[in-house]
Amino acid sequence: MKILVVDDSEAFRKLMIELLVRAGFHDVVEAEDFEKAIEAFKKNRPKISFVDMILPGRTGVDLTKAILAVDPGAVIIAMSSIINKKMIRDSLDAGAKDFLLKPTNEIALSAVLAFWSD
Amino acid sequence: MGLFSRKSKVGKPDAESGLGITRKYSLLQGRTYVVEESPSDISFDAFVNIVSTTVNGSKKTVGLAVSRQHPDLIKQKYGLEATPIYWLATRTGDDVVAPTNLGILTHMLIKFVEENPSGVILLDGLEYLVSNNDFNKVLRVIDQVSDHISQSKSVLIIPVDPRAFTPKELALLERNVEKIVGSRRTS
Repeated sequence: MKILVVDDSEAFRKLMIELLVRAGFHDVVEAEDFEKAIEAFKKNRPKISFVDMILPGRTGVDLTKAILAVDPGAVIIAMSSIINKKMIRDSLDAGAKDFLLKPTNEIALSAVLAFWSD
Repeated sequence: MGLFSRKSKVGKPDAESGLGITRKYSLLQGRTYVVEESPSDISFDAFVNIVSTTVNGSKKTVGLAVSRQHPDLIKQKYGLEATPIYWLATRTGDDVVAPTNLGILTHMLIKFVEENPSGVILLDGLEYLVSNNDFNKVLRVIDQVSDHISQSKSVLIIPVDPRAFTPKELALLERNVEKIVGSRRTS
């Protein structure tokens, strides 16, 4: 199963990839901004996309809508380092399925993957 | 009036508004969890996730947090609006618990468990408590609260930085509790 990680922090992307690989998900692509994320999504068609809510220039909500316009069946998990209830509601309203608090960990990530990878 | 009744008033906990997201942590009721980590990311994430979500339409879980971090910072970062948060500090104030006042801390936590038998407690700042008290006294607090937890459906989460304790102290802390080994972030 392909997974896309979108975050402008290279360190966080590496951490996510490390956790995903440890959880048995080796087919991971990454992107640092909106444009690269859309390009990577169209090219790879990942089943799950982990999307940071705050990206350079555009928001995670914008990206969520853009990804779902390409593939309405895509599973998007919003991420943020703070819990802003309005931002989370906006993401869910835009079509994101779930939310992960950054920096995430094996327990929370495994729960999300188990829930949404079927 | 009881010995601690005036000072150890626990703020009335209320359920957080649901976030509409899934429950990520399946912690067993009536258990105490020691989470080996620094900083306390897993513990806070678990605590916030539990008070902000429900499972299969169950009743919302109310929480109580005690931390060395200032309550305003915690509320801001984790979006907590209804959960009482107490600051472990030597300042005075309504939401402050002095680190040397272990009696009041114990009473406050036990009172919360008695009044909220399915609640969740986050006890962050164990290192600060130990630096202000004899280790065995702090251990006694945890044992007393854990005893009440095990007779309820509540959950107690205690983040612990293993570097701050001797192997013997760590072993004593982790007796009769569930252990979660997290990571140590350096950046």
